[in-house]
Amino acid sequence: MSTSAPALEVDRLTSGYGEAMVIHDVSVTVPAGQIVAILGKNGMGKSTLLKTVMGFLPASKGHVRVGGEDVTNLTPYRIARRAIAYSPQDQAIFQDLTVDENLRLGLGMQTDYARGLERVSGFFPFLAQRRRQRAGTLSGGEQKMLLVARALLSRPRLMLVDEISEGLQPSVIQRLADVLRGEREALGLGILLIEQNVRFALKVADRFAVLKRGEIVDSGSATESGIEDRVNEHLTV
Amino acid sequence: MPDQLLDVLTTAAILYIVAVGLLIVLGVLKIINFAHGGFLTLGGYASLIVSQLHWNPWLAEPVALVAGTVLGAAVERIIVRPLYSRPLDAILATWGLSIVVVQVITIAFGRGVQFVRSPIEGAIPLLGTSYSLYRLVLLGAAVVLALAIGAVMHGTRLGLVARAVIMNEGLARGLGINSELVRFVTFSVGSGLASLAGALITPLLSVDPLMGVPWLLNAFMLVLVSGTSLISLAVAAFVLGGAQVLISSYGNPVLGGLTIVVLAALILRVRPLGFARG
Amino acid sequence: MVAILGVMALAAVAAGPYLLDTYSVNILVRSFLYGCIAIALDILWGFAGVLSFGQSAFFAIGAYGCGLAFVHLGLSWETAIAGLLGGAVLAAIVAAFVGWLAFGHGVSELYVSVVTLVLTVVVVQILYSGGDFTGSSSGLSGFDTFDIEIETWFWITGAALVLSAALGWILVRSDVGRLLVAIRDNEQRCSYFGISGSGIKILVLVFSAVVTSLAGYGYAAYTDVVAPDLGGFQFGTELVIWVALGGRGTLIGPAVAAVVIDFISAYLSGSLPFIWQLFIGLLFILVIVLMPQGLGGAIASLCRRLWPWPMDSPGVARLAAVRADRIAREHAAPAIELRGVARRYGSLRVLEDISFVARQGELVSLVGPNGAGKTTLIRCISDGHERSAGQVAIQGHDIGRLPPERCARLGIGRKFQTPNVFDSLSVAESLRIARARLEPPSPWRRADEIHLPEAALRVVRATGLDRSLTTTVRHLSHGTKQALELAMVLAMEPRLLLLDEPTAGLTKPERTLIGAILVDLVANHDLCILIIEHDFEFVREISSRIIVLHQGRLVLDGNVEDVVSSELVRTIYVGEQHALRETGA
Repeated sequence: MSTSAPALEVDRLTSGYGEAMVIHDVSVTVPAGQIVAILGKNGMGKSTLLKTVMGFLPASKGHVRVGGEDVTNLTPYRIARRAIAYSPQDQAIFQDLTVDENLRLGLGMQTDYARGLERVSGFFPFLAQRRRQRAGTLSGGEQKMLLVARALLSRPRLMLVDEISEGLQPSVIQRLADVLRGEREALGLGILLIEQNVRFALKVADRFAVLKRGEIVDSGSATESGIEDRVNEHLTV
Repeated sequence: MPDQLLDVLTTAAILYIVAVGLLIVLGVLKIINFAHGGFLTLGGYASLIVSQLHWNPWLAEPVALVAGTVLGAAVERIIVRPLYSRPLDAILATWGLSIVVVQVITIAFGRGVQFVRSPIEGAIPLLGTSYSLYRLVLLGAAVVLALAIGAVMHGTRLGLVARAVIMNEGLARGLGINSELVRFVTFSVGSGLASLAGALITPLLSVDPLMGVPWLLNAFMLVLVSGTSLISLAVAAFVLGGAQVLISSYGNPVLGGLTIVVLAALILRVRPLGFARG
Repeated sequence: MVAILGVMALAAVAAGPYLLDTYSVNILVRSFLYGCIAIALDILWGFAGVLSFGQSAFFAIGAYGCGLAFVHLGLSWETAIAGLLGGAVLAAIVAAFVGWLAFGHGVSELYVSVVTLVLTVVVVQILYSGGDFTGSSSGLSGFDTFDIEIETWFWITGAALVLSAALGWILVRSDVGRLLVAIRDNEQRCSYFGISGSGIKILVLVFSAVVTSLAGYGYAAYTDVVAPDLGGFQFGTELVIWVALGGRGTLIGPAVAAVVIDFISAYLSGSLPFIWQLFIGLLFILVIVLMPQGLGGAIASLCRRLWPWPMDSPGVARLAAVRADRIAREHAAPAIELRGVARRYGSLRVLEDISFVARQGELVSLVGPNGAGKTTLIRCISDGHERSAGQVAIQGHDIGRLPPERCARLGIGRKFQTPNVFDSLSVAESLRIARARLEPPSPWRRADEIHLPEAALRVVRATGLDRSLTTTVRHLSHGTKQALELAMVLAMEPRLLLLDEPTAGLTKPERTLIGAILVDLVANHDLCILIIEHDFEFVREISSRIIVLHQGRLVLDGNVEDVVSSELVRTIYVGEQHALRETGA
């Protein structure tokens, strides 16, 4: 596993449903240890992009590389095993399993679950106390935190996060942002963040790209001044 | 009265043993394995072979289990896998397999009814009445089986992974779980359990090539009513099996035979998800 | 064409007894009856999509109708007819009951197979326990029956088979036949056209049950024996196997398969009964896995490729305009009235406290971020079962718990977010189905003219659909399917249009055209249109009013200028949580 290769490289990817292509010629790179945000309104192709990267949708053109390795069109479970943590938008946790069971499923091999649990409980203390609770009974914010904890448990090198800030309180969003940025340093983790919430995304990310009608229309560093207005230009109208 | 209670319990136990393999296959693969009756018959004839070879009659169970599991593995790969996206066709194809199994057995053993001696004979005094020991053994077997499956489902990695696939296969795959392997193992085990059930019930009744059919129907209805919950299956087996026993003794044995299927059909109409939650 | 083949078949039947030996003739009398049952089952399963394992039950009812009449009432014309009608009526009643059980709201499609299977078990048990009346396990035999020669029986059942095939063929080629296929492929879409799929399926089940019971009557009258396992599910599943092998949905395939397999089985039942059954079982598995369309279906597609069969396309349909006479000026009641509508899933609240009124002549756009509940709201308006609380009234009628087909009949036309069409029908046939409630389809003809209202015609002509009337919908592009669905919904002549992202996947000129059509419908035809859209430019151009949903609540409802310039809307769309403003950038 080469550490200099980008965590994720999406190379001129085109895919969609049946005959309707939703994303066209999309190229995005997530360097190792960086957070890249994909911004866009609904129906613009963000979830489609994620599903194609994870192998749930077949790519009709283009390539997906993880850590330098071409994973285009592999079956999802094989892709997931390449140290990728996938947090989908809906139905991302098993409602009827306990917190503990949900976390365990994040670890492919049963290596040192105890140590991993200790580490992620450091980020979200409530987890250690509520291990036996059914995940479906947690609040919305707690469920998202469980999601991130599960993703981080396996020490992935790439995280794909789909609209995690939706419907959350500001304090929870702040916590998530801090944890993600922190782990990014600690693990050299690359994160692809799909978001509608521009302000949150730009706070967390290093780089951004705007997806409109299935194409990347703008990209750059997220820390420049005036970025928020520039992005909003694309999204309103 | 105690006789009745024991009858209800042992009948429920037998139904549970027969249906549990069908339930786990439905839960994980989301299809109904209509060859379940065929596997049951296979188990019965394994028992017959063991008795004809004069082996220890308790060997019938492991032989049946192994035979069923191996055959189930082959069936999953060849017949079931291509039909994942066509569940109604999977029912038809497994029904075809059932026919094949029955015909092969008929060609090999003939059509007649045959008997296998019970590994344990006689009765013991219990609750003020004398009751068949073998039936009580089956009750014990059902309990052991239920506990074992429960332990696997809730205590092992395999069980956790299987439950994840049952609840949300897409998410499970996204987390790195090889759901195809899980389906393969589940189907093989489910078929093995069907054969095991066949071997267990043979001493009580008899073997003939068509023995699997009424059991398939009853198991099928019980499973539909239970959804994907093992506990619901135990409850359904108790309630519907109990109803069958009561109606057979106090009413009409013919009606008794119909109880499970008719009651289940009515329950399903009112609550399409059966007893299971939500 | 049908007539020619029919006459040829009759001629073959007439010649039969002179060419075949007595044993064969004897067998074929029975096989022909099975062929009739197979045809009825194919119409039920292959065309209407109802997998019934219980046709044997109806067969037994018909057979015992004959047996019981002759045994207990003696042989005469009156008792013969009584037995015939008695069996048919009982079969019809049982079928209606089963249909009522199986085709209700929210019942899974597996259930009908379950219930028909259970039916066979119940029927057999009833027959077993009938004592002397039904003859119990040995059944009834040796009763006085019609004194007819074997050859004559051959001609009778052979002619019955040819007649069934011919009538069946005409039925499935007609508009009603296409309607059955539409219900099989997409019952939901049919219900939103006001067509009651369950009602029609019950009718088809009853019809197939009656035909099967008549065959049973013939069987009993000929063989002079009736036994309980005539009704058992062994025979019931065997029938399904024959239809599957012959090719479901081909009509002739199942008939041929039934006749051939029964004929061969009879010959082999002496020598190799089990190996033959084994072979059939293996063949069945093979066909299901590898060739689900059956041998007949495979042959049919092969033939179609070699010789384009003229019978397939009975003339291209023409489109014609319908008189636009539905401008009702008189309406006191608003088109839509919602009060306190909510939709909850457990503790998850998708919609909460939605109330508004929309009238004829308004074009209301429904906007809001993903997950705001827009599609759910449309569902609550068009389906009485959907909402958790609140009232919905359409044109003054409270929809209560009415299913979609009843709501559609109140004048609602709904277009779905992803194109919801009939994949295996042609464009023309799809439009015909959309008109089915207003112009009931014929069971023997295919209409060569399709009447469409002006708006639908415009959509069809502008998007080129009028040049692809015979194209199968499956082969259309995504955008064209969108246009087709819109045209179908317009063809219903709705008073209220619910459109869910109608322009997704369309080109700019197509979008402009659709926009113009919608504006015209509202202005000149007095429709009320509720449209979900993400394209803000489109919304601005065509709407008279905008409603904004956010996190399940109605946050803004006003005219275009007010809403577009509102701060709240910008906030919602940019996704800024209002409290984050305080934490600073």
